[in-house]
Amino acid sequence: MTMRTDAPLKTSGAARYGLDVTPPGTVYGYVVTSTIAHGEITAMDVAAVRAAPGVLAVYTPFDPLPLRTPMSPLLGETWVPLQDTEVTYYGQPVGFVVAETFEQARDAALLVEVTYDRRPARTSLHAGLADALDAPPSLHGEPPTLQVLADGVESIEDALAASAVRVDATYETATQNHAAMEPHSAVAVWEDGRLTLYSGTQGSDLQAAQLAQALDVEPARVRALNPFVGGAFGGKGHAGVSAFLGAAAARDLGRPVKAALTREQVFTATATRPATVQRLRIGADADGRLTALAHDSWSSTTATPSFVEPTSHGTSREWYTTPNLAITQKMVPLHVPPTTFMRAPGEAPGSFALESAMDELAVALGMDPVELRLRNSSIAPPGRDLQWSSKHLDECFTLGAQRFGWAQRHRRRVDRDWLVGYGTATAMFPALRFPCAVRITLRPDDTAEVATSGADPGTGLRTVLSLFGAEALAIPPERVEAALGDSTLPPGGMSGGSTATASVGSAIAVGAPAVIDALVAVATGPGGLFEGREVAYADGRVFAEGDSATFGEVLRAAGRDEVTAIGTSAPGEEMTKHSFSSFGAQFCEVRVHRWTREVRMSRMLGVFDAGRIVHEQAARSQIMGGMIWGVSAALHEGLEIEESGRPANGDFASYLIPVNADIPTVDVEFVRYPDTLHNPVGARGLGEISVVGVAAAIANAVYDATGIRVRRIPIVLEDLLE
Amino acid sequence: MDITLEVNGETRHLSIDPRVTLLDALRERLGITGPKKGCDRGQCGACTVHVDGRPVLACLTLAATVREPVRTVEGLAADGRPHPVQQAFAEQDALQCGFCTSGQVMSAVAAVEQEVADVREFMSGNLCRCAAYPNIVAAVEQARSTKESADARV
Ligand code: FES
Ligand code: FES
Repeated sequence: MTMRTDAPLKTSGAARYGLDVTPPGTVYGYVVTSTIAHGEITAMDVAAVRAAPGVLAVYTPFDPLPLRTPMSPLLGETWVPLQDTEVTYYGQPVGFVVAETFEQARDAALLVEVTYDRRPARTSLHAGLADALDAPPSLHGEPPTLQVLADGVESIEDALAASAVRVDATYETATQNHAAMEPHSAVAVWEDGRLTLYSGTQGSDLQAAQLAQALDVEPARVRALNPFVGGAFGGKGHAGVSAFLGAAAARDLGRPVKAALTREQVFTATATRPATVQRLRIGADADGRLTALAHDSWSSTTATPSFVEPTSHGTSREWYTTPNLAITQKMVPLHVPPTTFMRAPGEAPGSFALESAMDELAVALGMDPVELRLRNSSIAPPGRDLQWSSKHLDECFTLGAQRFGWAQRHRRRVDRDWLVGYGTATAMFPALRFPCAVRITLRPDDTAEVATSGADPGTGLRTVLSLFGAEALAIPPERVEAALGDSTLPPGGMSGGSTATASVGSAIAVGAPAVIDALVAVATGPGGLFEGREVAYADGRVFAEGDSATFGEVLRAAGRDEVTAIGTSAPGEEMTKHSFSSFGAQFCEVRVHRWTREVRMSRMLGVFDAGRIVHEQAARSQIMGGMIWGVSAALHEGLEIEESGRPANGDFASYLIPVNADIPTVDVEFVRYPDTLHNPVGARGLGEISVVGVAAAIANAVYDATGIRVRRIPIVLEDLLE
Repeated sequence: MDITLEVNGETRHLSIDPRVTLLDALRERLGITGPKKGCDRGQCGACTVHVDGRPVLACLTLAATVREPVRTVEGLAADGRPHPVQQAFAEQDALQCGFCTSGQVMSAVAAVEQEVADVREFMSGNLCRCAAYPNIVAAVEQARSTKESADARV
């Protein structure tokens, strides 16, 4: 097994991220943000800014950079800054100062005086629950309110009332920020009417398309580069304000512009995962078989509604067998920072509610929570005919229970001053893929290149490209170079939705035979090494009877620089035959301090059924990271929005995410069943499923340890005081 | 003002604004971009470099105050071979996006050199949102045993 191919670059400081580029003549942009959450800007006094040393330009809604609102099929509309005087959240970009140096731009930006006509701000999700609105249809086009009822059942209420055992509980999850370590940033360079943009995003071609639309230039005149991305997690799908303002200012000034949000600005001027409130009502018979499941969800969203966290559609809609199901999804528009997808959107907070409620049901039934889940495992989503293509959740649970020592959980465990508890939860995340094109090139030096515009924000896509290329061409991975993160390469779509591995794998499976055909044509064509003969390709060589040559030799003999082919793929017929998902079983042990009520996660295990595992080490790393994200959601992170709309903890000193000392060993295991019904390479994606269920497993473990059921995350000491 | 910095064994002269941090001097003036700016507030560790052999946060250090030699992640390799800590980070997959890695590596080098008792505690000033923490600890342990066997040979 080779190591992650870019590990040497990343450990030596040689990997170049967006901001690591400083073209000659670069000037620096600094964003100014609003200090109210709702109102209108009536004036901006920038005289002192203009007079400050080194300042080249000040852009405001009164003196804006022209930008049009881009629209994309995948992302919808993307907001562009400074085009009007409306303020709809605290920390909204309202100005942009460009100066010769970073220090000059930063200090001058402090001199901007903004006058507002303030309006009352709605910032409380709770206060807005009463007049919440129906959410728009889900990503899959399902309506916000949806019911599946058994024959003869009039309503979900009737089904619940007729159930032998019932749970009715309401759960809450916090607003979160992706908080990738690389702040949103861009370096923009114009040359001869062409823009080159260096900026870490989840898809260079999407970024280029958004910029081209915003700047009103031909798409071919924009090149977006993101060979290295310092983390994204859903927060770098839309092009950001630094990219729009940097590119527009660079055009206006005729100088390269470098712009980065400060960490504090990242918390407001990018986007967040919405806060949610979720009511779960579950009915079961005395054997623990579900008879009714109702999941009502409320999500915060922006003042003009945009992304809504699809918690009920993402979980209860599909996870368990139940004859009666009712889900609703509502939204509460607030004057809060933009909302967008974040690692397992819907599933992560949704699973906290559903899997906590399942634990409550297990308690009510006096049943082992693992057994309860096995008993209700679905073979298809309720009310749908299409069965799961490849589901081994039972194996995840039985293997996991054994490995974790789940059977020990009955002993009342106290370890000195620590109360010890065990918890478990199901994890599911849909298996998806996006349209994707990959170019495969064979070169005379017997190396190959596999190229796509997609991004590797730490997922290991670069390594996976080499491995798939090597496999399809039957040559060692060391001879396959991966190229990505460049919008001029064939469109690879977005690294999001845990789709990239399945998408590029499918495209390579199409492209490799095509490039081999092209090679064979060169070998057997006029002037070819094996002109007019029967040949076959194997292991990087072309074989003719009694003779063979490497593909490099074939190309050299023909005087060719390369042969190339582009493979494309997209979701297709398989979608009409099966339902697709990855599955997992999460286990964790927590310790709650008897006196201080501090909660420590002390041990965790996740067992996953995610199809074929392509690169074991990178796969484990990604899963481990996702599981730690679950710990973070359960015990650490939440963006607190004050009544005024200002985030109370919008920096890394107070927005808590786990540090090294918070995390002991994390155990990861896979059951390995390639899902070739989903795609030819059999991989289903790992980025998101790993976070799903963890927060519930932790809350369930806290209950096991203390007898206290906490229905709101992050769990804080106060929740556990008796 | 005019200053002189010794970075990775090279003497560099700079004429800078006194407000310039060591981080911005390295990144924006000297093209040494291994150290990263994750927060500019001393809250994340991505900018960690060594000054006189000790880890410091380059974003909280004004360039003009630096008298001792500076070492960044780019200056760790010797004779074209990666430092044992860099090698261990790569082998243990102690990274994903890599944005925190330069800082993690510099803190890890200090952890190994200082033979710290509690690695997880020592490394807790370096945030990793990808959460490569268990692998980072494994990398420090690996580098530590490499060093011990090297020390034993001497
Ligand atoms: S950039 Fe220096 S500690 Fe974050
Ligand atoms: S590797 Fe991404 S932040 Fe550490």
